[in-house]
Amino acid sequence: MRIPIRMIGIATTFFWIFLIAFFVSAVYSVKDVHFDFGEPQMDVTSDNKVVFSLPVSIANTGFYNIGSFNISTEISDKEGFTITRGSTFVPVIKKNDVVTITHNMTIDLNDLLQQDKNYLFNDTELKIYEAVGMKIADVIPVQASTNFSMPWSAPLYNFTLGEPIYAPYNLTHFRVTIPISFENHPFFDLVGDMRIRMYNSTGARVGRGKTSLEAYGNSPYNREYRVLCFDDWNDSDWAV
Amino acid sequence: MADTSNNFKKKIRNFTFKALKATVKGILFYAIYFVLWMFLAPISDMVPGFQQMIETFVMVYILLMIVGELVSGTIFQCFFNVAKALFVIGYLIFSLNDGIFGLTFQNVSLMVDLRLFLVIAMLLSLLGLAKSVLQAINYMNEKAEYTRI
Repeated sequence: MRIPIRMIGIATTFFWIFLIAFFVSAVYSVKDVHFDFGEPQMDVTSDNKVVFSLPVSIANTGFYNIGSFNISTEISDKEGFTITRGSTFVPVIKKNDVVTITHNMTIDLNDLLQQDKNYLFNDTELKIYEAVGMKIADVIPVQASTNFSMPWSAPLYNFTLGEPIYAPYNLTHFRVTIPISFENHPFFDLVGDMRIRMYNSTGARVGRGKTSLEAYGNSPYNREYRVLCFDDWNDSDWAV
Repeated sequence: MADTSNNFKKKIRNFTFKALKATVKGILFYAIYFVLWMFLAPISDMVPGFQQMIETFVMVYILLMIVGELVSGTIFQCFFNVAKALFVIGYLIFSLNDGIFGLTFQNVSLMVDLRLFLVIAMLLSLLGLAKSVLQAINYMNEKAEYTRI
């Protein structure tokens, strides 16, 4: 019986040495994994989507491969409603290898502004949850996560319609001039058409106008718009 | 009278040998810990209490190992071996918090899943426990045989 007991002892010792050596070397090799986060880029596509791109470079000079490398980002509003999420996955980063990836996040401005008009007119804060996960030596899962806030800049901040000025246009119509002002807080320009419709107290449309809009990013915008109205329009009783 | 003197000398020699063996084992174990600690040292800056946790483990383990070695050849050696195996299992469970190790550093939460490591370590500890139980059975068996003869 002594020999089997001794064999169990030898086998146990061998496995302990192997386990501890592997664990210590795996933990030690984390020291030799370097992350380099590049300058984040923001672009607006032609279909009104804001694309955030974050270049990430991972240099693995440790003893083991890194498996299931994953970067995920979730952007939500103050109430916790998820606006968008993005994820970038690299199956394996081999040892002595450098991998460069671009982590992309897309926010559809059309969807966002239709969901909540508040984003158009008021500056607010967006919550960002960022998580980086990987498997050290393809075996030990590690995840680091953080939360932070990012300011949201409203494109139509402090949107104001001024006092309308009306003047006869012809025998049947008036011309109404409406001053419009707002501040375009985000970095991107607002380019498009602005349509104005005027209604009387019974809800009937009495006039309309359309003009092109070009508001530069981070700048105030002040213009006057002209709207043609029918002659039965009453200046004390209108809505835009 | 000469037999008693020889017996006493033999006991002293045995005990000295056991003490020497225990000392060598203790020093060897501490040297291994010292070498491994050089690799783990960067973690102790990030994880508060990590060094204390490892040091306590090493201290108790070496103590049990030395005492177990001093009482080798008796049934108490098996008791100390069982205590050693149970201590490893208990300490791993409590210190590794069921295998999910989490800490917060400034605004960053770090989570390390050591469940696989914990399971393997537990299995090896159970193997050590089984070995100690077998040793105890073997010891009692041999003693019974000598008594019968």
